[in-house]
Amino acid sequence: MGVGGKIRDWFDVRIGLGDFVNVQFREFRVPRNSNVFHTLGLVTVVAYMIQVITGILLLVYYIPHPDFAFKSVQEIMGSVSFGWLLRQVHVVGSSLMVVVVFLHMASVFFMGGYRKPREMTWVVGGLMFLITLVFCLSGYLLPWTQLSYWATTVVTSIPTAFPYIGDFISKVLRGGEYVTGITLGRFFALHVSILPPLFLFLMLLHIFFVKRTGLSTPPFGLSAEQQSPWTEYRRETHPYGYPFYPDFVKKEVFMGMLYLTMMFFFITFFPTLFLPEEANTPADPLRTPSQIRPEWYFLVPYQLLKLIPNKFIGITLLILLVVVFLLWPFLDTKKEPNILKRPVLKTVFFLILVMLAVLTLWGSYR
Amino acid sequence: MRYLLLSLLMVLNLPLGSLAGYREEFEREFLSKPWAGDQVEEDACIACHVAEKMDPRFKNIPQSWKMSIHYQHNVSCHDCHGGDPKDAEMAMSRQRGFVGTPKYAEVPEFCGKCHVGILKNYLESGHGKALKSTGKGPNCVTCHGSHKEDQYVKKASIEIINERLCSKCHSYERAKIMKQALFLTEKKMGELEEGFSRLKAEGVYIEEEEKGLFNIQAEFRTLFHTVDVSLVKERTDEFEKKLEPIDTKVKNTFSELRFRRNFSAFILLLFAGMGIVVFILSKPPKE
Repeated sequence: MGVGGKIRDWFDVRIGLGDFVNVQFREFRVPRNSNVFHTLGLVTVVAYMIQVITGILLLVYYIPHPDFAFKSVQEIMGSVSFGWLLRQVHVVGSSLMVVVVFLHMASVFFMGGYRKPREMTWVVGGLMFLITLVFCLSGYLLPWTQLSYWATTVVTSIPTAFPYIGDFISKVLRGGEYVTGITLGRFFALHVSILPPLFLFLMLLHIFFVKRTGLSTPPFGLSAEQQSPWTEYRRETHPYGYPFYPDFVKKEVFMGMLYLTMMFFFITFFPTLFLPEEANTPADPLRTPSQIRPEWYFLVPYQLLKLIPNKFIGITLLILLVVVFLLWPFLDTKKEPNILKRPVLKTVFFLILVMLAVLTLWGSYR
Repeated sequence: MRYLLLSLLMVLNLPLGSLAGYREEFEREFLSKPWAGDQVEEDACIACHVAEKMDPRFKNIPQSWKMSIHYQHNVSCHDCHGGDPKDAEMAMSRQRGFVGTPKYAEVPEFCGKCHVGILKNYLESGHGKALKSTGKGPNCVTCHGSHKEDQYVKKASIEIINERLCSKCHSYERAKIMKQALFLTEKKMGELEEGFSRLKAEGVYIEEEEKGLFNIQAEFRTLFHTVDVSLVKERTDEFEKKLEPIDTKVKNTFSELRFRRNFSAFILLLFAGMGIVVFILSKPPKE
């Protein structure tokens, strides 16, 4: 027996490792008609872990103070060994993570994976998507550059649209009238000590729900098991599917590699895509740049608010859209699980995708 | 609940069309103010100079200023002319330090408030002496421009020494010798500036080096204002040596960028290769 086998045996005798792997991974089966989109959940976990690891390493050198934040980030980029790589992976990773989480949600929606009994899985996933955006927002200010300072000024002014409580919310976010060192402290605390455990908790909850209900079967060619009404708890075991380990894991590893390849494609060929020249200029509260624009993932609400002539209505509409998005499983009570057989929903789904793309492009060019 | 939310959506959508007329107000109130923060300052000088009622001779000043080297370095109207740009009524008040436009012979002192070293060398030069004795010699704006008519204050460069400009007052021969003496150092400084621009575009922060070059440039150009060719020739080596560490830093930064690109390309290929291997090794699921 090789060394690997001996180690495995050592653990097996003590904690029943083999049994655990069998029950949790080999006997956990995925639907036969599962596709590449089913891997996006685990790719998100990989993306999150990369952000955590690079974030912790960046934390070693970063100083969350307006006088030192910019300088410490420049030290990371210029003086710390491979600090540039850590920051690039963290920066590119944040944008890619938004893409992966979004694709995961869009594909789950398209395949009807939010439907009973997976409403809670969807809501928790939706909350994780929102937290990912808050992660991005809070992390964006930390380098204390002109770009980050003014983009944060833009975003933290959004709540002022609300009468009575708007100014209060904005002041709480900023820690005062303007974006200052207090804002930096608040965003830093949020970014490194409040959001990560919250995200981790939701992620574990999400995985727990997935494990308890089993992976959803795409409604394109339904099994009899799924068509029966869901009146009591049962797990979708997919007896005719294939095991999560090793078959599905290979797919996951392939997708993980694809994710990392994409990440290094951007770092190699477009190193300044997410770090333009303004991201290399220290924040100057007295000098407003001519073009203030948030990061690409906030261009949809930004452009939407520019198009809707009333600030209050625009923001209320945005919040309503988010609420509808989160609570969609409870609003969609139609029996038909296949979106292809629901022309209205299908049209709305594609229209929303087109709208998101158009608003993002529009926001970035104007 | 579903109907409640949908109704709310519809109710909120209805007023959108009727509010379309407020677009202009919205853009003014929302897009320029709160989005940009309250710290956006309205400059009274510019607001007045671009106004319809402004004398056409002075209307072009803001445009000319925006093209100038002063604008690039955040030097605003009140930095030279005094006054209070935040208060339209008191903007041109002497109480707020407004000094207006200097007379021709006072221009060197006017500019020399900031360009102290250059003023000293200029006053000792033939140019400065001519102005002092006759009141007609060249002052700063003769060579560097001002906001008059279609002029703007240009960035100091060797190109300012040219036959058209110099021969307005004297023959070009002496100026040509001076230009030749300045040429190599100026060329080196120009190359470094170009290198800085490229590095900035690559996302490198080089403020320290930029400041270093700026100081050397200022010192070198101060020296030029003596209009003393032998002195310029004598001190050229000294400036070359001062530029050397900046040049080395720029070259090293470029080679570091090349390394970074190659390194990340290597990791890219590594992950792509591993992905391909995993893909090939993945057996189709057992039936």
